[in-house]
Amino acid sequence: MEKSKTNIISWQAARKGRKPFSAWLGQLRWSRLGALLGGAAVLVFFVYPILKLILLSFQGEHGWTLAHYGEMLQQERFWTTIRNTFYIVAGSTLFALVLGIALAWIVAYTDIRNKSALHMGIMLCFILPSYVLTLSWSSFTGSQGWLAGLLQWIHPDLAPWSMYSLGGIIFVMGIHHFPLVYMFTLDVLRKIPRDLEWAARAGGASRLEVFRKITLPLALPGLTAGGLLVFLASLDNFGIPAFLGTPVNISVLSTLIYEEIIGFGPSAFARGASLSVLLGTVAVVGSLLQWILLRKSHASDTMQPDLTPRYALGRMRKPLTWVIWTGLLLITVVPLSSMISMSLKRAYGLGLTRANMTLDNYRYILFENERVWQSIQNSLVLSLVTMLVCLVIGSGFAYVRVRKPNSFNKMAELATAVPYTLPGIVFALSIILVWMEPIPGWNPGIYGSMSILFIAYICRFLILQIRSSVTSFMQLDSSMEEAARISGAGFWRKWSAVLLPLLLPSMLTGGMLVFLTALTELTVSALLYSSGSQTIGVTIFSFEQAGDTLYSTALSSLIVALMAVGGILLLLVQRWASRKGVKKS
Amino acid sequence: MIPFKKSLLLPVLAGMIIFSGCSTQGQGASETNNVNAGASTVSGKLSFYTSQPEEDATKLISAFNDQYPDVDVSVFRSGTEEVTAKIQAERQAGKTQADVLLLADAVTFENLKQEDLLLSYKSPELSKIPADLVDPDGMYAGTKVMATVLATNTQKVASPPTSWNVLTGADSKDASIMPSPLYSGAAAYNIGVFSRTDGFGWDFLQQTKDNGISVIKGNGAVMKAVASGEKSYGVVVDYLVAREKAKGSPVELTYPEEGVPIITEPVGIMKDAGNVPAAEAFVDFLLSEEGQQLSAEIGYSPIREGISPPEGLKSVSEMKILSGDPVKLAADREADKQQFIQVFGE
Repeated sequence: MEKSKTNIISWQAARKGRKPFSAWLGQLRWSRLGALLGGAAVLVFFVYPILKLILLSFQGEHGWTLAHYGEMLQQERFWTTIRNTFYIVAGSTLFALVLGIALAWIVAYTDIRNKSALHMGIMLCFILPSYVLTLSWSSFTGSQGWLAGLLQWIHPDLAPWSMYSLGGIIFVMGIHHFPLVYMFTLDVLRKIPRDLEWAARAGGASRLEVFRKITLPLALPGLTAGGLLVFLASLDNFGIPAFLGTPVNISVLSTLIYEEIIGFGPSAFARGASLSVLLGTVAVVGSLLQWILLRKSHASDTMQPDLTPRYALGRMRKPLTWVIWTGLLLITVVPLSSMISMSLKRAYGLGLTRANMTLDNYRYILFENERVWQSIQNSLVLSLVTMLVCLVIGSGFAYVRVRKPNSFNKMAELATAVPYTLPGIVFALSIILVWMEPIPGWNPGIYGSMSILFIAYICRFLILQIRSSVTSFMQLDSSMEEAARISGAGFWRKWSAVLLPLLLPSMLTGGMLVFLTALTELTVSALLYSSGSQTIGVTIFSFEQAGDTLYSTALSSLIVALMAVGGILLLLVQRWASRKGVKKS
Repeated sequence: MIPFKKSLLLPVLAGMIIFSGCSTQGQGASETNNVNAGASTVSGKLSFYTSQPEEDATKLISAFNDQYPDVDVSVFRSGTEEVTAKIQAERQAGKTQADVLLLADAVTFENLKQEDLLLSYKSPELSKIPADLVDPDGMYAGTKVMATVLATNTQKVASPPTSWNVLTGADSKDASIMPSPLYSGAAAYNIGVFSRTDGFGWDFLQQTKDNGISVIKGNGAVMKAVASGEKSYGVVVDYLVAREKAKGSPVELTYPEEGVPIITEPVGIMKDAGNVPAAEAFVDFLLSEEGQQLSAEIGYSPIREGISPPEGLKSVSEMKILSGDPVKLAADREADKQQFIQVFGE
């Protein structure tokens, strides 16, 4: 679960809410005080860490220096990493674009059946945490996996191509991110007016010409924005290259920063900071480009999406359906099952026969290793607290942002988006730098306890809640509030009796998104965890690094089961939300 | 459908948090249990930083808790080099969290000793431990003997090699694997020893690199690659091979004739340990007859006299040892790591 749902939410939410009719004179003083406090908090939590990171990369023993950058540029390893990062990001973006656009076109324009089931199947690749998807693929294509067995059976010399390579990373990353392109493109394609296409066809243009002259130019801004989204997600991704690249010495920028900090400790902070500034700059430029493109494609925002099929597949329908479903099963269910079968083995080097099957690995992680339980507990507590804090603060801020938009809270919203825009590893490093010694000479011991994770999670995921709440406040007309006030309801009454019942369902959907994202988080926690504060993702990662693949796959399989439960809950909440919505409005 | 009571939602969530929050975030306060007669007087929290495999650390702690039930041990596990970096980071943040360290090699402890991070403790059990495997100032003491050996996949290779030179031969072209000194303390020690041993040196390491040796993070990962047949030969600590072989994997271990580097996985207590009595009890337990017996059961070669090594492993006296001076190696560790990046870094 990464960066993109929100962008879609915010993109829908970029319309202005109507200002309420009344004046707010009585609350002027309070709101000014609130604004000051809020502004200070935003500066401390969101702006200062980034400044500190940038400053550190220019700080030497005596005053300002470019030495860290000079040293960085002279290292062979740095250039190799840059090359790898480029190949991986470019390759997986391209792969995701091709796959995503093709599927979006089929779902948007053709009369293929069971579109909603297909939609769910596609989203599955994205909802699974990247490290679970990675483990599935590495166990599926590994020398002990199903694919190797199948190839051996065909011909003894055949062996699967190794996932632990540039190609493997590109492939898994592409599969993980193509649903983003798909979601983005689906909407763009549905909003292209079909009468333009008809007019062109009537004027004698061929199908190809119609596509080239009408469909493509209209779709391009949206498609490019989708491509940039994947580009940013690939740049941010840490799990896939850490699991597949590190063992064979392939580093990308995010894993290089991690290795420097984890392997060398504080002596590498300045090196890590200069790498982070570089990576962060690329991410920020990408986000800006994306934002500009989205503003361009807003023109079509007023269009109603057109859901009826435009092309009949005819005799092609059956085979195409068959191909798509087989493909989807192959990229999700089959690797997942392979991972589950791996977690049932007695020893890694053994074939999968009945005699070698055991539940020992599960017994070990559930009953013999307290740290696994603790990590599950930590992750649950972290995600719940993050969700609740974000619900309260995020929704409060969103309310002010929608009802009284001004340049001040617009800036604040931009600032809260920074931790999420930056790659996770960069953000985590900036958090370490700030909270290790918040004021020189004062060490409150935040680093090395759960507190630093709470701070990091809340700062990083707050924007998800803000955007989701902004969307829900936009949909609520301010007349509701005015009616409540005119009828004499006070602040508390107004919220509890009128606003919350109407808004809670959609706010909770945002909350669930925060919860699920936080539950399986790896990047930030990998850099910030310590003894007793490890999260689920970190535990799986540690098992895998130590060569305990049987345990990492067992824990991953458990997480998949947990997420399935969570997903069903989410669906129920959404159904309940939509029912409420229908009843009230 | 039953109407869902929204009013219940928040209290229930809050309740869940309070409930689980209490159990996870006890603030390091030692809970004074009512000590019944005969129970140990050692209690409270003990923070244990180690590079041991997860399973072994778990077994060690549960055996320790059989004797000292009132000590609540929390573990932080990673590669030796990462644990050391973590301690440095915590130090910068104001306070090291660790009480007891159990890391791969004496060199790591030598560095910590020079930074004045360790507490001197001479356990009564030391009388049974070889004096040259213990720090004379009592800052750290070896707890076991681990040789780095050659692991071979028996499905890929008919007769296991008897010399380190197999790693530079045509047989092992692109088919061998070793742990990274940037992560594993054992590997960092091995690089230090090999690069200073006559007949090997950096030239030998360069040749293995040219021969396509893979470098993976830890010893566990090396073992996995050899067991699964992804690689034919692995440079790995001995006990992992013996253990994997016992599980039924197709692997064999050999002690090369030129000799083997050994590490002793020393234990030490941090200077600003929050719970010194528990830390001392822990060290005593590790070195005691019972603790050493447990080590042997888990599959390590014990360090204490009079306890025989597990099936398939040699004892210290049977090995030909390639050794290095820990003080010298400690001074050069960082330089060795950088040199390794030069030679092996892509």
